[in-house]
Amino acid sequence: MAAVAVGGFVGPLLLVALGVVLPAVLAGVIGQLARLTLLLSLPIAISAVLVNVFFFPGGETVLLRLGPITATAEGLVFALEILVRILAISGAITLFYLTTRPAELVVDLERRGVSPRVAFVASASVQTVPAMVERAGQITAAQRARGLDTEGSAWRRVRGIVPIVGPVILGAIGEVEERTMALEARGFTRPGRRTLLWWPPDSAWERVLRWAVALAVPVLIVARVAGWLTWLP
Amino acid sequence: MTELVAEELVHVYREGGVRALDGVSLRIGAGERVALIGQNGSGKTTLVRHLNGLLRPTSGRVLVDGADAATLTVAQLARTVGLVFQDPDRQIFAPSVRDEVEFGPRNVGLAGAELRAAVANALAATGLAEAASVNPYDLGGSRRKLLALAGVLAMRTPVLVLDEPTTGQDARGVERVRALIDEAHRSGRTVLTVSHDMRFVAETADRVIVMRQGRVVLDGTPAEAFGPDAWEVLRSTHVEPPLPARVGHRLGLASIATDASLLDALREGAPGAGERPQ
Repeated sequence: MAAVAVGGFVGPLLLVALGVVLPAVLAGVIGQLARLTLLLSLPIAISAVLVNVFFFPGGETVLLRLGPITATAEGLVFALEILVRILAISGAITLFYLTTRPAELVVDLERRGVSPRVAFVASASVQTVPAMVERAGQITAAQRARGLDTEGSAWRRVRGIVPIVGPVILGAIGEVEERTMALEARGFTRPGRRTLLWWPPDSAWERVLRWAVALAVPVLIVARVAGWLTWLP
Repeated sequence: MTELVAEELVHVYREGGVRALDGVSLRIGAGERVALIGQNGSGKTTLVRHLNGLLRPTSGRVLVDGADAATLTVAQLARTVGLVFQDPDRQIFAPSVRDEVEFGPRNVGLAGAELRAAVANALAATGLAEAASVNPYDLGGSRRKLLALAGVLAMRTPVLVLDEPTTGQDARGVERVRALIDEAHRSGRTVLTVSHDMRFVAETADRVIVMRQGRVVLDGTPAEAFGPDAWEVLRSTHVEPPLPARVGHRLGLASIATDASLLDALREGAPGAGERPQ
């Protein structure tokens, strides 16, 4: 959110360096973060850059002509601004995913008074992706063992989508039902507050940092609206 | 007739760096009926997934009928080695039982009358002929497991690998799986079963291979593998010999592994056999 508020591309880049890259280095997940962020953002980043560089409305400084389409400097600058925002958003989401244990997230949300149902939905969302990837891997192996050719031509690969995606979706639906019953059986829907036996440690400097980040966002929005950040390219 | 050979097979999983296979060498001859046993994580499933190329060795090699499996795709190997996975719900996708069974044989090139015959035989053998038009998800868990088995049986592969075929089966289901293995054996197919059900292993295998921590620690007949001399090895991989082997040992009988052999030994004059308890 701060990266969008700041404007330009130097400000968001600084925010990415301070808010995403530095914590990722400290947490020892920078390699995974780089890979996953690229995977997440590459398709949308490529299309955003191409569209803005070649079709930016009002672009006057011509950099390159390719038949009827023209790349402009104004389009390139705008594309860079979009690019760093995409990197900031996908980087922040990936960092959260890589450094947050679902169980700790649920406990902490409940400790702060969030309903167990809402906390569970948050946790399930974080857990769903790796579980689906693991399930898809096993299903692919089972179908390949029955002769499904996933290494052949593009057409053969397309033909392989239904036998793989079908069980992934059916299994996920079945799992939701099983999980719901297992939760019910353990009194999940019982009304009232829960007694927590444990919650994640939350040191004083972590609290200070969190509040600082929370305050920085409205401050940056005000600064942007007031025109105090025009010196940043 | 297909022979399977593993030579100094090593497999290290990228995630976690676990050395799941640590120099496995073995030869399974054509038409053999083999059981692979050992504790969870001993490398059984990793080993069988090398036989059809789903996993590739970190070092060493697998030969399927003399051909290096590394030079063949999984789709090519699937024509020779049919692998039935433990969890049927991780493969069923078709709208009917018949369509589900047809998937594998179609992939390996069966068509027309040959395909129809293979599917009909597999459905009959698994007791699913009457359910051919039913949606697979309307079957119970035990029958879905038999459906997964039918899907691979219909591929008519010379090698059949079954991963935990009796898990979740009631006595009737276990009996049906046992009959399927016997039939596959009689028709000359090689059958390799991964199982934790020692009674089933003793009664369906001619050869038992015991694995521990990625290595083969015992390889012999059921009588050898479940005999008292092997118990120390079995204990080290958390495998309990079948009841007849333990009862036979307590009665001072020769090494036996099945209910039938225990009864035979008792009839032939075990100490106290035939006497009424006082």
